[in-house]
Amino acid sequence: MKKRGKLEIIRDILSVIKEDSNLIKPTPLLRKSNISSMRFKEYFSELLEKKFIRESTNKRGEKFISLTDKGFKFLERYKTIISFIEEFEL
Amino acid sequence: MAPPMGYLSNLGFGAEVIYSFVIIVCSLIVYFETKELYELSSHKGIKYFRQAFLFFAIAYFFRSFIKFMLDYFNIRRILDFAPMMFGPLSLFLFMYFSSMAVFYLTYSLMWKKWNNNSKKIYLFHAIALIISIVSIFLINPFVYFGLNIFLLIFVVIIFYISHQDQKKRKRKNNLYAIYALLFIFWILNVIDILIPDFIQNIQLFIYLVSSGIFLMILYKVLKKTGSN
Repeated sequence: MKKRGKLEIIRDILSVIKEDSNLIKPTPLLRKSNISSMRFKEYFSELLEKKFIRESTNKRGEKFISLTDKGFKFLERYKTIISFIEEFEL
Repeated sequence: MAPPMGYLSNLGFGAEVIYSFVIIVCSLIVYFETKELYELSSHKGIKYFRQAFLFFAIAYFFRSFIKFMLDYFNIRRILDFAPMMFGPLSLFLFMYFSSMAVFYLTYSLMWKKWNNNSKKIYLFHAIALIISIVSIFLINPFVYFGLNIFLLIFVVIIFYISHQDQKKRKRKNNLYAIYALLFIFWILNVIDILIPDFIQNIQLFIYLVSSGIFLMILYKVLKKTGSN
């Protein structure tokens, strides 16, 4: 199986959140993202920092993750980004 | 004494303005059109690609500025224009930004193969500075040719390596042909500034082909970014 690139992993994580009605707990997200917990933490921090995702807590203190507008924008433009990178050999 | 106003009736200067305008606008559109892709992806290749076109725009601005000074003050070489080091300074900036534009474009192709070592870009800045300093202190056509041949050989080697990888991946792309033309005509543009009499007879041809190359790259960028 071909190793996923960084942008592909980000796309996969964001897609999991989107497909889960844009509200998912951290544990199922880690499981469905199909990466090690160590790498997941790195990606999770990066996605929070870049404001692709946001964390929220409900009344029972449970954490949920959802996409921001920027996260949706990334998914929308993902194919264009990849196509641009391939076209210009970047 | 008022400066000679011959430039106003000079068709060549009109062509210079249009030429510079086309290249600067094309380069800036490429830079701004790819802003969103970079902000979303933080991809280093896109970053260096954008930087290259920003530097092309700045370099062409200084190029047209130098051409304007030559024409307006009726001087042969920009280094002959002495007040406040204006001539040497504009030549220095032109050489620095133009060399860096070429280096950024090559770096956008090679950064992955160079193990993502961003320190190499500082080496390019140092080489560009050396080229710029040599251009203003060693006023000799042979030195100028030497510098440009060095740049051309460097770029050809990098492109050859990158192109071999592309062939291995069996991807068909006319990008390398466009980039090769871009560099050849870029060097002719640099020689046109450093040794003004050298390519006078084919200047219009160089301007047309250079504009065509930038328009082609702009078209590819707009097509890929999904802009109209």
